[in-house]
Amino acid sequence: MSKTIAGGKARAVQVKGTKGSKAVKGNAGKEAVPDFNAIEASAGFRELMKKKKAFLVPVTVLFLGLYLLFNIIISYTNWLDKPFIGDISWVWVFAFSLFAMTWILVTIYMKRAEKFDEMAKDTLKEFNYDKEENR
Amino acid sequence: MNATVIIIFLIIVAMTLVITYFAAKRTNTTSDFYTAGGGLTGWQNGMAIAGDYLSAASFLGIAGSIALFGFDGFLFSIGYLVAYLVVLFVVAEPLRNLGKFTLADMINARFDAKKVRGAAALSSITIVIFYMIAQLVGAGALIQLLFGIEYIWAVLLVGVMMTIYVLFGGMTATSWVQIIKAVLLMVGTVILSFLVLQRFDFSILEMFAQVKTATPHGEAFLNPGVRYKIPMDTISLMLALVLGTAGLPHILMRFFTVRDAKTARSSVMWATWIVGIFYVMTIFLGFGAAAFVGSDLIIATNPAGNMAAPLLAQALGGDILMSFISAVAFATILAVVAGLVLSGASAFAHDIYGQIIKKGKATERQQMLAARYASVGVAAFSILLAIFAQSLNVAFLVSLAFCIAASANLPVIVYTIFWKKFNTTGAVTAIFTGLISALVLVSISPSVMNPEAGAAIITGTPIFPLTNPAIVSIPLGFIGGVVGTLLSKEVDIKKYAEVKVRANTGGFRQL
Repeated sequence: MSKTIAGGKARAVQVKGTKGSKAVKGNAGKEAVPDFNAIEASAGFRELMKKKKAFLVPVTVLFLGLYLLFNIIISYTNWLDKPFIGDISWVWVFAFSLFAMTWILVTIYMKRAEKFDEMAKDTLKEFNYDKEENR
Repeated sequence: MNATVIIIFLIIVAMTLVITYFAAKRTNTTSDFYTAGGGLTGWQNGMAIAGDYLSAASFLGIAGSIALFGFDGFLFSIGYLVAYLVVLFVVAEPLRNLGKFTLADMINARFDAKKVRGAAALSSITIVIFYMIAQLVGAGALIQLLFGIEYIWAVLLVGVMMTIYVLFGGMTATSWVQIIKAVLLMVGTVILSFLVLQRFDFSILEMFAQVKTATPHGEAFLNPGVRYKIPMDTISLMLALVLGTAGLPHILMRFFTVRDAKTARSSVMWATWIVGIFYVMTIFLGFGAAAFVGSDLIIATNPAGNMAAPLLAQALGGDILMSFISAVAFATILAVVAGLVLSGASAFAHDIYGQIIKKGKATERQQMLAARYASVGVAAFSILLAIFAQSLNVAFLVSLAFCIAASANLPVIVYTIFWKKFNTTGAVTAIFTGLISALVLVSISPSVMNPEAGAAIITGTPIFPLTNPAIVSIPLGFIGGVVGTLLSKEVDIKKYAEVKVRANTGGFRQL
């Protein structure tokens, strides 16, 4: 463990060596491999995946949908060519709302992801894998 | 070419070479070479992603397109920006959690098979080559115009310089060149935008009103339809842009330069803000060029409009600003091409040589040598192709690279992370269906076959009607993965629990 920290940058070979012993301690199994099936089946991990999906699936459908809708509308119709203010037509408004959407969704996700990180950390803690591997 | 241009140009080049010198001293291992030791911070990597992304095509090309075609020129920017949501939500974190140096590493976290690694390396190399030829052809034309030297020397100049950065400084130098270039590019664009807005008394409404009278398109300039007239073609192209970014090897590679998924995420956030703000400012550049330079002069200097931004700089700020913008454009090209060389070289040296030929048993010294030879090889090969590809349309090559990235790389990334039953046969068929369908459809499309003699490589009626095949080839890539998975009797679900846990928790990273 200390080797990895001393190295500063996590080098593959070193981590692998130290992880083996760590895994045995945290895991009742005979192999030096963590029991991924157990983690995957755990309530904490299931909850994390559920929360992640509940956020990512609708949001992805929404932003890809709006983006495609915009392209379909401007390609097949003239609906957005009408003026908004002065010479600025609705097409610019829609285009900028897609820019704004991108920035807003990125910011929201940054907040959400902190919670996901928290949940992931708790799950790994449960299985005693919360030390240097969890970086 | 005047003295100011040369001096500013030399200062920027010297600055980047100093970085390369210091980076070279710190580049001892393959990890340093490919990923800058994995130690970049969120804002550093975010700036570097923006640096990688804002190529000459974005800076000079989009400004020029807006100047000539109005809203249609701006259309590309929307796809390029929204694409970051796909990167953030789908690929950034799992990629950092599962991978080490390349995309193939990430897929191999689940399927430890040479054929999968080979297929992924092949599609990455194909994308890099197309993207790189586009950049070099653009660079050649630009340097030729800016400094009045011949095309072939211009390409060689850029080619040799980028090889120096990559060869000696690896990812550390490349990243810092990109960061500096991103800062310079933003500064230059802010100054130009300010000068343009000043001329319109800082009124956006006034700008729209005046630019309408300044262009030959009149009212139509401010609405879509000036440039892109075939609806299905536009939609196909926009699909390639939004889904392609998440499969571009040189962008994906940037997620290996940070230490964890959290930093990968914050780099995407930084990149999204920088790239987005930049694209907003391209409107001022484009409208400014249309109003104060005029489309006649822009077209006369370069038919594709690539010189709109430098010409605007000259019109508003004289020779000094023009020199600065030109030098920034040169730094832009260098940085982007250096990033591309590095991602191509990593696919060759790490995946094909290190993992497939040497079966992962090469010594650190052998790997470093292979990486450096591969960098020189990729660079030389692209320079050679670029010299012969002078007449090819740059925008077409870039959109083709995006199309292959979306059709060949994205499906396999998505399935690897999200689909339990996905297996090695599925991975190989997904990559090859996407790659081959994109290439074949393009080669029978109007971009390659045109009834008008001389307009494209082959004279004849195109068999496939769309210039960008993304709308067909992306679904084919996804379907290919499903068909391959279901047809083979392999069952690979055992490893999926591990991949799922590692991708989503960030634990057990280097197992």
